[in-house]
Amino acid sequence: MRNLLAGSSLLIALFIAGTAYAHHSGAGVDRTKTVTVEGIVKQFKWANPHSWLEIEVPNSKGSTDIWNLEMTSPAFLVRAGWKSTSIKAGDKVKAVARPFRNGDPGGIFVSVTLPDGKVLGEQATQPAY
Amino acid sequence: MIKSRIGRRVAAAVVAFSFLVGVSDLTAQFQPPGALGALAPENLAKPRPKPPFDLTGTWLHGGGPDNGFRFTPPPGLKLTPEAQVHYDAARKAQSEGKVYRDDIGQCWPAGLPVIMTRVWPIAMIQLPTAIYMISEFMNSLRVVYLDGRPHTDPDIAVPSFNGESIGRWEGDTLVIDSKYFVPDHHWIDSGIPGSDALHIVERIKLIDQGKTLSIEYAFTDPKSWEGTWNITKRWRRVDERDIAEVSCLPDLNDHMPTTHSDANVR
Repeated sequence: MRNLLAGSSLLIALFIAGTAYAHHSGAGVDRTKTVTVEGIVKQFKWANPHSWLEIEVPNSKGSTDIWNLEMTSPAFLVRAGWKSTSIKAGDKVKAVARPFRNGDPGGIFVSVTLPDGKVLGEQATQPAY
Repeated sequence: MIKSRIGRRVAAAVVAFSFLVGVSDLTAQFQPPGALGALAPENLAKPRPKPPFDLTGTWLHGGGPDNGFRFTPPPGLKLTPEAQVHYDAARKAQSEGKVYRDDIGQCWPAGLPVIMTRVWPIAMIQLPTAIYMISEFMNSLRVVYLDGRPHTDPDIAVPSFNGESIGRWEGDTLVIDSKYFVPDHHWIDSGIPGSDALHIVERIKLIDQGKTLSIEYAFTDPKSWEGTWNITKRWRRVDERDIAEVSCLPDLNDHMPTTHSDANVR
């Protein structure tokens, strides 16, 4: 299920600009929009310089799309409350991302709602470096 | 075995001559037999003036006004026709919401000077003979030699993304001269290429009671722009940080759609 939500957050945009894009440009991502998807986690990678989250999301064709959400590095995720065990394959989650302009499934990660209802984002709960 | 007095003197002179030749032949990239590397205990122990400061620590770029991570060219910088083609293409891509030749996103090294401000912290270890700088970002290594060796002969120097750096102390300032950069996949800013003629002089000071590191850059690259491009950046000491292993691996970009989307202009 795909539910496009209009909105923007300067704070998040600045945070992402300073962290997630350290390795590469974020061109192609519509930073003025967010998209919310629900599905089953295929893979959660806890790695430098970027973590990522892959979710199998049902589409209108009766099959699934793989949504690949690019995340920042564990150094920042830890300060936002993450652990490497926060998500595992098979978990049913709802994720928010800034989508690709061309409509490809995926984008820049914003937040995720875990099976227990806990929400994790990328903003530090402690002062970031 | 040399028995005569004259024979012993001749032998001593040959040894001394060989040592002197060896020292004078020492360069940043190639050490001839008998020369001492920067980590040789004998080289480290040589008497030298006390340096005015010690950069050893972890440093993170940022903070304060006019200190963005990008090396934005100064107004009026005149690019060469060859560089202007890239610059115009980068501006066109930007106007279309795209990015021009984001080589770092394709796992090419950032190179100097970009690696110094690339968001990630830099561990610096200062020894009497050299300063080792390791950026957490791709663990990029820079060695700044301080033991008096000259730049490598251009005929044998191997170009690299961080170039070859020779440092010297001038009063309270560390002056670093860097050259021998790769001419491809090396950008100063989006659309501004660094060529094999790039020459960087950094004047480094510690300010704010040693909590802030300031670098005044002077860039010249006659193949890419005219004159000298001056810019200053600052870093803050982050004693609570260490650096980790960070590598750009093949499976990384497989999971980073932005690195292979149609928004990338090659």
